[in-house]
Amino acid sequence: MIETTAAPFPTVRVRPWLGRLAIAGSLIATFMALVWAPTDAVQGDVYRIIYVHVPLAWLAYLAFFVVFLASLGWLWTKRPWFDALAVASAEVGVLFTGMFIVAGSIWAKPTWGVWWTWDPRLVTTAVMFMMYVGYLLLRSLSTDFSRRATRAAVLGVIAVIDIPIVHLSVLWMNSLHQLPTVLRAGGSPALDAAMGMTLGICVVAFTLVYFAFLAERMSIELDRQRRMFEARA
Amino acid sequence: MTARCARHELNALDRALLIAARELAAERRHPDGLVAALTFTGLLVLMESLAFGPGQARQPGVASALFWIAILFAATLVASRSFDRELEDDAIDAVLVVDGGREALYAGKLVAIAIVLAIVALAAAVLSLVLLDLDVALPGHLVLIGALGILALPPVIVLTTLLALRVRARVALVPILSFPILTPQLVACTQGAAAALTGDASAALGWAGIVAAFALVYGVLGLTIVPAAIE
Repeated sequence: MIETTAAPFPTVRVRPWLGRLAIAGSLIATFMALVWAPTDAVQGDVYRIIYVHVPLAWLAYLAFFVVFLASLGWLWTKRPWFDALAVASAEVGVLFTGMFIVAGSIWAKPTWGVWWTWDPRLVTTAVMFMMYVGYLLLRSLSTDFSRRATRAAVLGVIAVIDIPIVHLSVLWMNSLHQLPTVLRAGGSPALDAAMGMTLGICVVAFTLVYFAFLAERMSIELDRQRRMFEARA
Repeated sequence: MTARCARHELNALDRALLIAARELAAERRHPDGLVAALTFTGLLVLMESLAFGPGQARQPGVASALFWIAILFAATLVASRSFDRELEDDAIDAVLVVDGGREALYAGKLVAIAIVLAIVALAAAVLSLVLLDLDVALPGHLVLIGALGILALPPVIVLTTLLALRVRARVALVPILSFPILTPQLVACTQGAAAALTGDASAALGWAGIVAAFALVYGVLGLTIVPAAIE
């Protein structure tokens, strides 16, 4: 039985504020990344792409973990709100993962000398990207709302296993990719303080952008669901 | 099956084995899935070996990869044919109305597809060993990797086939959904088989452990989630 009532949580009108906060955060992050942060002694200015690459990596994980939670929510409660959250997060996650791969590739060319190499981190990330493209494809090919949501939710639960595989692949296998710099087990971040602060601000700014995109996409999906339920009634 | 379930209180294992026996009986009567998978696998091994050239295809890593990619495709083919039979005359609906039918359907399909896949893998292995003139340093380890690999592939492929059931473009969708999830298993099977061919026992056992872990995780996850997956 599908629960067609409103959101399971109290509605807070944060959408307009999220957009403004995301823009403000992005401007500050851009200034800090391009001007304020010092130049790396070894890599020069090329390293600055980490201020895009690392936040995108974090958001790829976050977005797909949100898909997992929303999928569990749908399977547990059958409330369409969770399905809207899952599809919104999956689409934003696919977008950010694609940008994450492209940003990494742009950094790899001057640093490693190639656009792409068969490194475990790169390959597992590309596989994760394909997995969620498949998730969206499954959704687009299913016509019935309830079946589509259930099938996608099951896939959303299974696919989450890939997130730790991507993150830990650099530890498990011989990898050209550097080991974790910020989230290191048993150690403080291996990063200059100013670089670390800039990276932190960039992560916050990108996270705000993620939530702004998520809120907008969810709004579209909830509107679509409302029209569908009205047409059925 | 429904009548038999009504007469006797079947436990979950009995129900799964009943589904598996029904599946294998159907396959024996009309072995189109097995024949298609055997032909396809043989063709794939031949074509890939020809494309690489005999020198490269004989290398343990390449030969293992060719073998497991062929088995992966064969598994999707066998699962697809198996569910085609279920959809004909809506036979699947009769299974689903039985108490615990969803889990039984999943587990039964796993068993049946693993058995069919074992036959396909055996034929493909003989073909690869003979045509590529491979030397096997650790035959026992190779058999272990083969057996675990055959158990590791069906849990994901059956689950994704169930997800794509009655969906447009199912034939294309099942590989798109299952292959990314199966990447670690494919890598572990390939590396493990290559290690067994070259005589690296510890590496072969290490990779075998990874294959076994993935088989267990996805088998349990599939059994847990499959009642929700089928509507």
